[in-house]
Amino acid sequence: MSENLEQSFVSQLKENQNIVHKICRLYTADSDSHKDLFQEITIQLWKAFPKFRGESKFSTWAYRVGLNTAITLYRKNTRSINTISYDNQNFFIANDDYNHEIEEQLKLLYKAVYQLNDIEKALVFMYLEDKDYTEIAETLGITEVNARVKMNRIKGKLKKILNP
Amino acid sequence: MEELDLLKKAWQKGHQSFEEITEKDIYKMIHKNSSSNVKLILIISIIEFLVWTILGIFFNTDDMLKKVHAEELIFYFKVLNYINYAVILWFLYSFYRNYIKISTTTSTKELMGNIIKTRKTVQNYVWYNLFMIVVSAILGLYITYFYNPELTLLKYRIDHEVSHVTLYKTLAIMFLIIVVFVVVFWLFYKLLYGILLRKLNTNYKELKKIDL
Repeated sequence: MSENLEQSFVSQLKENQNIVHKICRLYTADSDSHKDLFQEITIQLWKAFPKFRGESKFSTWAYRVGLNTAITLYRKNTRSINTISYDNQNFFIANDDYNHEIEEQLKLLYKAVYQLNDIEKALVFMYLEDKDYTEIAETLGITEVNARVKMNRIKGKLKKILNP
Repeated sequence: MEELDLLKKAWQKGHQSFEEITEKDIYKMIHKNSSSNVKLILIISIIEFLVWTILGIFFNTDDMLKKVHAEELIFYFKVLNYINYAVILWFLYSFYRNYIKISTTTSTKELMGNIIKTRKTVQNYVWYNLFMIVVSAILGLYITYFYNPELTLLKYRIDHEVSHVTLYKTLAIMFLIIVVFVVVFWLFYKLLYGILLRKLNTNYKELKKIDL
């Protein structure tokens, strides 16, 4: 029984591991802490898994636990770090319509997002993942209206970082 | 903002390159221990409960009362002791109740609120104990003063001094000892939880600001 549970968890997490990876990349500055946070999120997901009964998709559920772990449970502080030591040379894999200019712009944008605080990052992350404001608000525990207001402020903040 | 939407497009379209985690890796990971701050808070809290409860037992007043022949007071101290145990049990119960509420599947704000509540219970327990120790110390000194024959000289001086200098000096010294004691503990806890929960507190404030 518990082995089945383990098997089901492992295969589902393997399928959805990119969610966790993306959170880790947003909240950590180097590959060691990336692995560290990945490990912690995995433990927290596994701990919460018996209560997960498939009312929502595994991915939706993993967003919440993953973000909660990164923002609240993970102890290492990354806020003061403004530089990313990831080798993000190939951050976005080149696709057909690869454009060097756009790639540069994306890198700058990504760096700007990285400078936001933990809460702002969570909002941006869910925005990038195309979550609606109802889900963003529910995940963070704020009202939907305020989630919208905050998101607009973040956009303004990003603009300022990009064009000082 | 067009830029963020540009990033969104790339984010969803382009596959970001990550080191692939295998099933074997995941199996290994779920058998490792968590290093989250909740776990640390739990461990520290249990240590605190133990240390302060043991300290409370050590501050046993019975022997002292017998020593100075104040046996008639033992009954009152017994009552005080039982009240004390009831209070400790209440603290343990509220700690447990708050702890099991901590869940990563609630909203971020609720999760943070629950962690902070759990920690506050322990902190209140510590303050309660400090308060009890201060009260015991004052009571102890008071009883010693009236019952202990070794202090007759001091008592005599206080009783017969017109200017009350000795009385004020004694009170000042007592007050100073208590203040130093409390400040040292306050600093210790400020530091301990300050470091442990700095990130959590900042994020909690940030999140609460959004809904203001």
